Amino acid sequence: MEKDKSIKRREFIHTGLRLALGFSLAGVAVAAGRKSTAEKWVWQIDPAKCTQCGRCATECVKSPSAVKCIHAYDLCGYCDLCGGYFKPGVKQLETGAENQLCPTAAIQRKYIEEPYFEYVINEDLCIGCAKCVKGCSSFGNGSLHLQIRHDRCDNCNECSIARSCPSDAIKRVPASQPYLIKGEFIKPLKG
Amino acid sequence: MSKKTLSIIVLLIIALIISLIIIDFIGKSSDKRGENPYDLDVDQYKLVDSSLIRYRETKNFPLGDRLPGAIDVYNGLIYLGVEDALLIITPEGLQKKSIPLTGKPESIRVTASNIIIAYKNEINVFDSSGKLLSSWKVDNERTIITSVAVKDSLLFVADAGNRRVLRYTLDGKLLGEFTGKRESTAGHGFIVPSANFDLVVNKFGELWVVNPGEHSIENYSDEGELRGFWTKNSMEIDGFSGCCNPAELAVMDDGSFITSEKALVRIKVYDPSGRLLSVVAPPEKFLDQGHAPEVAADSTGVIYALDFDRKMIRVFEKTDDPQKN
Ligand code: SF4
Ligand code: SF4
Ligand code: SF4
Repeated sequence: MEKDKSIKRREFIHTGLRLALGFSLAGVAVAAGRKSTAEKWVWQIDPAKCTQCGRCATECVKSPSAVKCIHAYDLCGYCDLCGGYFKPGVKQLETGAENQLCPTAAIQRKYIEEPYFEYVINEDLCIGCAKCVKGCSSFGNGSLHLQIRHDRCDNCNECSIARSCPSDAIKRVPASQPYLIKGEFIKPLKG
Repeated sequence: MSKKTLSIIVLLIIALIISLIIIDFIGKSSDKRGENPYDLDVDQYKLVDSSLIRYRETKNFPLGDRLPGAIDVYNGLIYLGVEDALLIITPEGLQKKSIPLTGKPESIRVTASNIIIAYKNEINVFDSSGKLLSSWKVDNERTIITSVAVKDSLLFVADAGNRRVLRYTLDGKLLGEFTGKRESTAGHGFIVPSANFDLVVNKFGELWVVNPGEHSIENYSDEGELRGFWTKNSMEIDGFSGCCNPAELAVMDDGSFITSEKALVRIKVYDPSGRLLSVVAPPEKFLDQGHAPEVAADSTGVIYALDFDRKMIRVFEKTDDPQKN
């Protein structure tokens, strides 16, 4: 099976991060469940419908927005030339602000080993603008996507982003399953 | 002007102003909220110089309710795998025959005497009439078969889940495998971030494997020794971008490659050394952020693309008139 040590290491990293993401979201899910025992429903973005219009950054009643970029590590290519991190057409793959797509430098790029890089979102800096999501979906695997973080969301009766979303991507979901995280690599992608 | 006419005109002007205010308000509060301050302009990468497009879409066959799985073209016939059958179709789109399958294939390869069907972790070998000759599972929980190719009595199988190429006999005996590792100066082994990992054997018996994470197309001996490769790492039209491109590969009788990319979807033809010869179909022909169509070519160079997003077979033929975009 796996003969390449570096790939083994990468898989280990994949698994570790996947669990980390799973745990942090599970914690938030419990919080969301508690916050909304009466209504039992919370708002969430369907990543398959989102067209990266930018309104998640500007229309949320919270400042900064309760919408954050989420990274589905299973889908990520850990690429050096990351379409979600670098501006298209950059000549040098260097981490200077002038090369970064994110307007708030919320994505941290860490070298793992040749040729893999890991991309981590700093949620305190992320404003949910979806610029990286568009870059990742246009040039990469679409592993970056937006989600409403329930530790930040007020669960407004009428979500003001849902009202202005041009793609009808925001809907109510059960508080017990408050996230619509993109699928894993193990699912064949075509068809 | 009478007092009455004047009042009517004033009322009409007031009504016009009110409607303009309402239209403006509705426009702003629905879809027309002005520019997205965070927009990322990827349209420039969708534009293709029309003189590079030397193919024209001449026909297409919508699949209706059938779910597209895989395609190959052999001896003038289209072999289309759908959710539960292999459909054999004429170039005019007429179904000649249907062979029942146990699921939706990930890859199909047709030769003079065999039809090879690959599922996620299983291979079925049929004779040309559709009689099952052999069947075996690739026994690994991470296995995701994405492509198969035949050279005489050898069957090469691309396993994306394990980033390896397996070598079998046509009756299922495993002969070996390789992960594309090569001398340190030549770069990295297979990097397969998603289930896009294609391989082909050309008319000269050469095995070519896509290394999608490296945007390269690599030539290996039957035993997995690297013989040569070319790489095109660019977002421009002559290169491949993103995590896993080219996601699909086919080969013409003269050894030219047909490549198909996902996300920024486009189909192109390269000569065997990696020089871009032509764009077959630019991104505007496909859904934004779509799947890479699977591609195949017949002996006359007609290209068949299985468009998973639009659920149709699309046929592209060479034209002397470069297309006008
Ligand atoms: S408003 Fe809708 S389409 Fe726009 S970024 Fe948010 S979820 Fe996506
Ligand atoms: S580009 Fe926008 S959505 Fe992505 S990490 Fe930065 S602030 Fe968040
Ligand atoms: S429900 Fe309210 S706080 Fe939550 S995302 Fe929508 S507007 Fe923001």
